[in-house]
Amino acid sequence: MGIKLYKKPKLEKPDMICGWPGIGNIGIIAVDTLRGVLKAEGLGEIEPWDFFFPEEILIKGGRLRDLKFPANKFYFKRLPKRDLIFFIGEEQSMEYGKRYAEGEKAEEMANLILEVAEKFGCKRIYTSGAATAPIHHKEKSRVVIAATEEYLVKEMGKYGNVIPISERGGSSTLVGLSGILLGVAKNRNLEGICLMGEIPYYLAGAPWPYPKASKAILETFANISETPIDFSFFDKEAKDIEELIVKFFREIQISLERIPPEIREGFNKFLDYVINYQPIEPRPTTPGPITEEDKKEILKHIDEFFKKGGRDAQKGF
Amino acid sequence: MPRKVFRHFEKVNLRSPSMIVGWQEDAGNLAPKVTDFLNEKLRTRYFCEIKPAEFFSTEGIPVRDDVIQFPESKFYAVEEKDLVIFKSDSPTRNWYKFLNSVLDIAQYYCKIKELYTVNGIPAPIAHTVQRRVLTVANHPKFKKELKKYGLLGMEFEGDPSLSGFLLWVAERRNIPGISLWEDIPFYLRPFDDFRAQKRIIEFFDQKFNLGIDFYDLEERIKDQDKRIDQLRKEDSEINKSLRMLEMGISLSGEERFKLVTKVTELLEKRG
Repeated sequence: MGIKLYKKPKLEKPDMICGWPGIGNIGIIAVDTLRGVLKAEGLGEIEPWDFFFPEEILIKGGRLRDLKFPANKFYFKRLPKRDLIFFIGEEQSMEYGKRYAEGEKAEEMANLILEVAEKFGCKRIYTSGAATAPIHHKEKSRVVIAATEEYLVKEMGKYGNVIPISERGGSSTLVGLSGILLGVAKNRNLEGICLMGEIPYYLAGAPWPYPKASKAILETFANISETPIDFSFFDKEAKDIEELIVKFFREIQISLERIPPEIREGFNKFLDYVINYQPIEPRPTTPGPITEEDKKEILKHIDEFFKKGGRDAQKGF
Repeated sequence: MPRKVFRHFEKVNLRSPSMIVGWQEDAGNLAPKVTDFLNEKLRTRYFCEIKPAEFFSTEGIPVRDDVIQFPESKFYAVEEKDLVIFKSDSPTRNWYKFLNSVLDIAQYYCKIKELYTVNGIPAPIAHTVQRRVLTVANHPKFKKELKKYGLLGMEFEGDPSLSGFLLWVAERRNIPGISLWEDIPFYLRPFDDFRAQKRIIEFFDQKFNLGIDFYDLEERIKDQDKRIDQLRKEDSEINKSLRMLEMGISLSGEERFKLVTKVTELLEKRG
């Protein structure tokens, strides 16, 4: 188990930006896009076999030729104002049957990532992910912030379209490696900030990306690193996803006879909201014209629909 | 402080043994039944285990037919045949460390020269036909065996198995290994496939000169054949489906479903 560095560039107090798969792959798409746009160079990797079950085997003529594991790679980019290190993990380190990274292995992974950060003089770590929110998919996603220190939350407030996690109300939990990495960073006296792009709560189980949230995170990263980047290329993809969402929920509407009558009414209200809602300003904070009870029941059924039909719908896309 | 993952029971005296590996969950119960059979017939000694805590979730212990199912990873040895058998549940976490732990015992304690894994793979074949055994090896030394024992080299690109992962780890430690993948008729997947068991055990018998008595196994094959033959006589559609499979003709989804349902009903009656 270990870290393999391809090179040892001299970097000026770089920040580290990390991304993994998660809800809508919002974090990893944001971080990987930024890496691509900035043409960051390969820096190293974490040897994966101690953390992951392999994802593909190649056998030819009865001989084992290759075993592929999810990659966990570091990249770097020198910028005029602030150098950056990227860490992109193709999978979170998980136990079989678990949805998010947790426990000893996840902590080990976090410590390895931070060893690289410290080796190159990083003082600040950014993680990225998704925040399910009572928003509609036609609305602009904001970036929800949690950090290892209060002053960091205040500092992030100066960037537009950012809200602290406390403004969402209730208690909040960061699941997966994004939260664990920040916890471990705090223990190692590093600054840590998690940027979470908002995704409508009814799309949390969808197998599609959610470009609006990725774009919101990217714009914030661009502001932080004082690097003007045009991310408008996300808009076309966001529009395609919007069409896919409407198509998917229209199909659910058609199959409503399978829904128990007692929740059909709530479901109808919900579908009408998803399909026909027009954004208004200021943005409402409630999840459309449905009750919390309806919401719970509807989300249960939507998850079932996503499991059954989401992947087929994606193929069409 | 590093935790000790082994529990040793007995000292065993081995020279340069081969090791047979079987995972508990397997199509046709092939691997667990082959390892059980060899353990019984060869009167092996259980000498070591890997402790489950680091490798298996114990959040809930499953109960099957009122019996607790607790994960097991056990080593057995038969000194006079210079053979080690490892039978285990598939770990649910820390796979790499688990496989290295298996190989630590195999390489440093037992000093194995090679390993074999046994695996069943559901296939669209009839239980009456000659079974294919496909192989994947991490070393060229096994090439001769393919010809001598009528084994076939596998071509595959896709999801890896735990056996594939083990071969890969073994290769990194310079331990030659080969996985044997035997066809299991898809309708026997959850049941004992005695014919498949016999095919693999015959291979080990010849390879390691074990002197196995196959009488019990042959009786079980005859009994299972007889029961399925009776079903064929009673149900012409099942007979037609099995005959098609015997001729290498594929079945429709509906035909497959009916065959699985009927065979399941039949074999569940008496276990």
